Amino acid sequence: MLDVNDTAQADDYVDPVTSDPRTFAAKVNSWVPHDIVLKDAWFPLAHSIAVTKKPVRRAVYSQPFFLWREGEKAVAAEFHPAEDVKTAKSEYSDAAGRYPVIEKYGYVWGWFGNPANASPEHIPSLPYLPEDGGLPKHMLGTVRFDCTAPLSLENLIDLTHADFLHADVVGDEKMDKETVEVFHDSETITMVRTCKNKSVAPIMKMFGGVKDDVQQVRQVIRIYLRSHAAIAYGRFDPGDNVQLFHPCVPETRDRTRLDYAMNTSNVKKTNPFRYMMPKASYKVSRQDSSMTSPQSPRYMQPEKRKDLHSPLDEAGQKYRVLMMALAERQAKGDFAYRDNVSADCSEIIGYQKP
Amino acid sequence: MNKSVWWAVARSEEVNSDKPINVNIGDDPIVLWRDHQGTARALEDRCPHRRAPLSLGCVLGNGMIQCGYHGWTYDGETGHLKDIPNLKSDAKFPKLYRAQAYQVVESGGFVRLCADTKATPIDAPSQSLPLSGSVDVALSHDQYLAALFDDPSLVISIRGVLFTPYLMSELAEVDGQLVLERSCKWAGPHWPSPFTSDFPITLRISTDPVTGESELLLRDDAFKPLLRARVAPVPAARGVTQVRWRAKLESQRSGLRAKLMGLGQPFSVLSSVDGAALRVLRPSASIHAAALRETMTNTQPAEAGVA
Repeated sequence: MLDVNDTAQADDYVDPVTSDPRTFAAKVNSWVPHDIVLKDAWFPLAHSIAVTKKPVRRAVYSQPFFLWREGEKAVAAEFHPAEDVKTAKSEYSDAAGRYPVIEKYGYVWGWFGNPANASPEHIPSLPYLPEDGGLPKHMLGTVRFDCTAPLSLENLIDLTHADFLHADVVGDEKMDKETVEVFHDSETITMVRTCKNKSVAPIMKMFGGVKDDVQQVRQVIRIYLRSHAAIAYGRFDPGDNVQLFHPCVPETRDRTRLDYAMNTSNVKKTNPFRYMMPKASYKVSRQDSSMTSPQSPRYMQPEKRKDLHSPLDEAGQKYRVLMMALAERQAKGDFAYRDNVSADCSEIIGYQKP
Repeated sequence: MNKSVWWAVARSEEVNSDKPINVNIGDDPIVLWRDHQGTARALEDRCPHRRAPLSLGCVLGNGMIQCGYHGWTYDGETGHLKDIPNLKSDAKFPKLYRAQAYQVVESGGFVRLCADTKATPIDAPSQSLPLSGSVDVALSHDQYLAALFDDPSLVISIRGVLFTPYLMSELAEVDGQLVLERSCKWAGPHWPSPFTSDFPITLRISTDPVTGESELLLRDDAFKPLLRARVAPVPAARGVTQVRWRAKLESQRSGLRAKLMGLGQPFSVLSSVDGAALRVLRPSASIHAAALRETMTNTQPAEAGVA
């Protein structure tokens, strides 16, 4: 368990990751991410700047969310204001068809689940995004993945894929030493990858002014399980830190929306890296999609053949088990947060505050 | 093939009193014509005498169909044999002397058939959409529906509209129908779909789980309808799917792109499928469709089949 303010209930909750190894392995291989629908969570549905007086449409697991502003205030509703025939209202909105909404970190967050359980303390901690938003537009963007959201996140938390799939952007697998540590609680999983003398990311050579051939790298991926949202924080020496917020909103069970924010305000204004790095998402996301898109239909239904795993897959395996454990708990009617996702996680991710 | 299902086998304008036509439901051949009172009639396209196709015969002035081989003549409503001209006799024929009759219902510009003559007539949509067409596609009925769900551009075309891989709502059961809503964009230079924040139009597809008859509704981002269509795929012989369709372009359309839809053919169903694109099309909605269709058809009343 990570050192966070733990809100876990004193009951018979058993950490699914520390249970019997054979049970653990069986769970890992029973992974059908399309079947997982987690509720009682905030989803970053849109960048704040995308929400205006004119309604925009978003979805969480096909549940429609229409977002617009009434005055300055962002609202979210199940129905478009101009919709002629309103179908039966779901249990996810109030009597007027409105959802709980919070605006924080430059996003409009919508609550998917029982409205009575919506609470600001369930908004994930994102230490390097300004709470009031305001990042310039060039640090924001939207990309989509033709796959189920958990596959996108499983892809993200296994950074060894980046050495091959994104080698032309973030560098290849050449390095002296690599260690991977994984931490988790019931609501989050955090992977810390440390690389010694890793080949320098080409984008840092091209645009970041890094002249060396190798750099020391510490990359952290922290996933907030219910919100399908991840922090990707990288420290590079020499080089500038990379501060990415990577939310994977499951618009449907087989398609993922990523309204990202890459805060490069830590990079000098005269350094092109400040402007180019956020745009790398367009390239990197298509590289990811080239693999996760064909993967996705193969994870839609239970599969007899087991996936093979290596020791480097620890984070991905634990992510699977934790997600399934949450889903099982929810299936039994337990929607409580046992760990606090809004407590400042700067220390956990090793965030170097400016 | 479930005998109690109603299939939209023809458009109204295809059926006339001048020349009977042949259609299929699966491997079953059917002859269709319109009798002297304008009522559409359907029999198995097989003369019980020497198995000749009745569709090679003709429609008599009294509305009956006459086999072109030996002139045996049948009543379209019951299938009873009414005349063997060369007998020169008024003798009545035993009830056994009959062709297999189908129940026929005509509404909304479609002629629908059911092999079960005791099945409850269906309550099909009555509004007839002015644009229409028929195509035979060399693709099985199941695969045709899978393509419609996974990538509509393989089977239909809407003028000026591009379908994206992104759904606003995935395939799910809504009031006995399989419903999904796909994000679409206008054709022309634009930011690639994977990097697009908001799409200006959506296509809602509502599909009968048994017949695959689908209602299509194209709407703009203000939820205003732009185009409606009804596509009726019917399984035919040799794995071919016969598709009849009707469509209507809404007269009130906001925006230049929407207005341009009125130039030329706004909607069509493609007569052939791009095999290269189909082969590599990744299944998505269609994977759930198979399970949903099975579940829904097992729980629906016997006479179900059309929305």
